[in-house]
Amino acid sequence: MLMHVGREWVQIPDKPNHIYREKTDKRILKKNPWKDYRLHFTVLILVIIAELIGPIKIPLSESVQVSIMPLLYSMVLGLVFYLAKPITWIQRKQARVAEGAMMLFIGILIAKLAVSSGQSMHLIFEMGPALLLQELGHLATLLIALPVALLLGFKREAIGMTNSIGREPEVAVVVDKYGFNSPESRGIFALFIIGTMIGTVFISFLASLSTSLLPLHPYAFAMASGVGSASMNAAALGPTLAAFPALETNIEAFAGFSNLLSFSIGIYIVIFIALPLTEKLYYILEPKIGRSSGDKKDDSDEEITGGK
Amino acid sequence: MPDLLDESVDVSVEGIFNWILLLTIFSIITVVGNYVGYKHPIYDSLVGMGILSLITLVGVWLERKLPLNISSIIYISIIGIILAFPGVPTSETVLHYVSKVELLSIVTVFLAYVGIGIGKSWDEFKALGWKAIIVTILVIASTYLGSALVAHIVLVLTGVPI
Repeated sequence: MLMHVGREWVQIPDKPNHIYREKTDKRILKKNPWKDYRLHFTVLILVIIAELIGPIKIPLSESVQVSIMPLLYSMVLGLVFYLAKPITWIQRKQARVAEGAMMLFIGILIAKLAVSSGQSMHLIFEMGPALLLQELGHLATLLIALPVALLLGFKREAIGMTNSIGREPEVAVVVDKYGFNSPESRGIFALFIIGTMIGTVFISFLASLSTSLLPLHPYAFAMASGVGSASMNAAALGPTLAAFPALETNIEAFAGFSNLLSFSIGIYIVIFIALPLTEKLYYILEPKIGRSSGDKKDDSDEEITGGK
Repeated sequence: MPDLLDESVDVSVEGIFNWILLLTIFSIITVVGNYVGYKHPIYDSLVGMGILSLITLVGVWLERKLPLNISSIIYISIIGIILAFPGVPTSETVLHYVSKVELLSIVTVFLAYVGIGIGKSWDEFKALGWKAIIVTILVIASTYLGSALVAHIVLVLTGVPI
């Protein structure tokens, strides 16, 4: 399924379960992505640079510090290499190959987390209630982000933008429910793109700050790092592992399992709880704090594509 | 839209060959990073990556081979959990080698590909307004903190020691 966003056509999943499969297959089975040796060689160099720099700890005060992990350098360097004009061997084609390959490499990440989970399975059963109930904690987004979105002048886009963290499965749910050209779908699509660009970096800083500022249980941070995509999970895990080095395996296990739950049951929470609640809240709040409908931005194409 | 892989020709030797080569490339880069960043022995982490690649390969293959509509993520998770489950004969070997590959080494390589991959969304990203960026940041922060808070409360209520 294709969707027109800005100036480009973007691939949108038909059904949640097929997202990875279709993307991976199109890019991996039809072409021979390993032939693009310059892409992989570039990644090797980026990784070596990132690992050589190593983690950097920036103290903000006596007890608060932000750690920046090599995983962030490699991601940002990857983006810079794509955007930099002089680097002619990393272009759109390579980005497509990288994206397809990434879908396969998620498997390695999941496998590593699964091995940690298997090792700590008894603990996961013990922590079952916390693991399951924290999925409901995701609903905090509609209580906090929805009112702000309305105050900023968003209309029905806000329903798409604030019902969940907006990764592929949730995008598919919203598109499926409201239809392709609906304001709700536009909203979640904006969330998806921005989340892809800055979500990973942002959640890493957030986790870093939270682990040093908030007196919560280490396992609570581990479970919270699983709220989004696999890359977000990984980026949030970095600082969490650095903050509690003695609990490494358990933290990996909980994060992995929580991410798995977000993938598998999170989608039903969105369908049966988050979306209906977001709608209810929208109808209660919109007349009170929404910008007046005489506003020219009412039909907010413009709102989303931001004064272009 | 017909499934690309519902016809048996698609799960061809060539397709699997592509997966294996890609996983090999990924493993080599990860092992180098794992050595540079954490000084783990190259041989052990290579075996560790081999095990993880095999689990991934079986997972993606099962997703396409079995008639069920289940994501490979689920298969991979189940296989990984079973292989490492305490008491299962494979558990000690798998744990020994896989623990030599740091999660963060894998992630660093993975995110390098992600960085290059998201490059092509850069123009769309720039076209979105600052208001949408504020809302996105709020969504991520409140989802993360909401989850952490609920998890913390439940952990404390069920008396989990740190």
